[in-house]
Amino acid sequence: MRLTWELMKRSFQRHLTYRAAALAGLVTNLFFGLLRAAVIVAYYGARNEMSGVSLQGAITYTGLTQALIAYLTIWSWYPIMDSVASGEISSDLLKPLDYFTFWLSQDIGRALAAVIMRGLPLILVYALAFDITFPATPIQWLALILGLILSLLVSFSWRFVVNLAAFWTPNARGIGRFAYGLTWVLSGFFLPLRFHPDWFVRLAELTPFPAMVNTVVEIYLGVLSGPELVSALLTQLMWAAILILLGQLVLRAGVRRLVIQGG
Amino acid sequence: MRHTLAIYRRLLGIQLRSQLQYRAAFLLEVLTSIIINGLFFISLALVLQRFESLGGWGLGEIAFLYGMVDSAFATMDMIFSGFDPGYFGRHIRLGTFDQLLLRPVNLTLQVLGSSFVMRRLGRLLQGIAIFALALTMLEIRWTLLKVLFLPWVLMGMIAFFGGLFIIGATITFWTIESIEVVNIFTYGGSEMISYPMHIYPGWLRSFFTYIVPAIFLNYYPALYILDRPDPLGLPVWAPLMGPVVGFGMLGLALIFWRIGVRHYQSTGT
Repeated sequence: MRLTWELMKRSFQRHLTYRAAALAGLVTNLFFGLLRAAVIVAYYGARNEMSGVSLQGAITYTGLTQALIAYLTIWSWYPIMDSVASGEISSDLLKPLDYFTFWLSQDIGRALAAVIMRGLPLILVYALAFDITFPATPIQWLALILGLILSLLVSFSWRFVVNLAAFWTPNARGIGRFAYGLTWVLSGFFLPLRFHPDWFVRLAELTPFPAMVNTVVEIYLGVLSGPELVSALLTQLMWAAILILLGQLVLRAGVRRLVIQGG
Repeated sequence: MRHTLAIYRRLLGIQLRSQLQYRAAFLLEVLTSIIINGLFFISLALVLQRFESLGGWGLGEIAFLYGMVDSAFATMDMIFSGFDPGYFGRHIRLGTFDQLLLRPVNLTLQVLGSSFVMRRLGRLLQGIAIFALALTMLEIRWTLLKVLFLPWVLMGMIAFFGGLFIIGATITFWTIESIEVVNIFTYGGSEMISYPMHIYPGWLRSFFTYIVPAIFLNYYPALYILDRPDPLGLPVWAPLMGPVVGFGMLGLALIFWRIGVRHYQSTGT
């Protein structure tokens, strides 16, 4: 437990030092946020509401999703693949710590640093530039925090499994591009899932992606309440469990196959 | 000149051969790119149907803009792969750029030939498909002039974004790391001009009219080809500015590149 805590703290501190990169990332995220907000406003046109989301809510959605990019790093995260390529993995596997926990604790540290340096500042600028909404009740805030923790767990477990592809093939990046690329649309990042027809939403819900972004968004905007809210959180929990289990199985099969080059 | 071209062909040949070595991986990458980019468009089309229009433009017109940008950007992304700031920055960091300086061949050409990412073919095919869809949905009154103009619009966009890649690469001479802000102009710019520009707030539009004149690349040519009135009231020759802006950007970028090369100091690795 102490080891996990140390790993988390170190990773947090290390990521806090990348200030210039964080600023550049923040500016980029903000620009794309403004662009997406402008497109959303144009979609709404004279309308005030779509699928239970107000225009104000939809603008908030663009900021919130942009703020989630750094927290979840859902589009490019390849450190395990890199460690296979460099041979570093051989010493990582020897560490007296579960391999999944080893990476998870570092990812939590990274994610916390991202919240402080990228997520919160972005929401702050959004709050100054637009009339955005905030969760209204303590229950909603509590659900949001739970949803955020679970979304990180789902996203991390997915990234973990995807990275393990490197145990089998040197071309694992291509697999990564596919596995991460699906997230753009199916997680409800590109456009809110509930703006799509029902069949599309049901299709997306067969994947873990909505549990990464869409659930957090819907909790934040308050379109979910009561039993719907509970079931959304439970779905996230289910995906986290499935992916963690999958990760363990794939890891066990992979370690037996892993060929370490050089190092 | 002929010698230079022959060398470029050779360099490209090496790239193609090496990437086709892993044929299955290559095909999967192309397929991946088609699926991922296709998903974006499907999502956009489905949502657009719910909202009925985007700034008064329907799916056909949006597909027209989108298909044009995607085809042009993917082509650019292949031709100018060597200048992709992320890729080029690695050369600078590792000092491998120095090798190119030692060879008695045109430097720009060597960088161009140093990479040619063929998996972009997927996005290109997808862009062409969306453009074809637009053509079936719209009833464009084609004239000879429009047909002759269209390739220039595409080339203008290729030149424009190619120029931005070169600028992004040149900046790494000083910064060593490739800087993420360049993405605002390349990826942000290309996303921005996939939508009708009149939907953007005034300050953003002014920026992309007078400072980085991306509004002329795709939007104005589209107004002309689709016979749409100009809601922003620019002169009638505004559509012609597209290729001018594109090649102008490429020219400026090449000048900046020259300056950068002259100031280049190796990292010493």
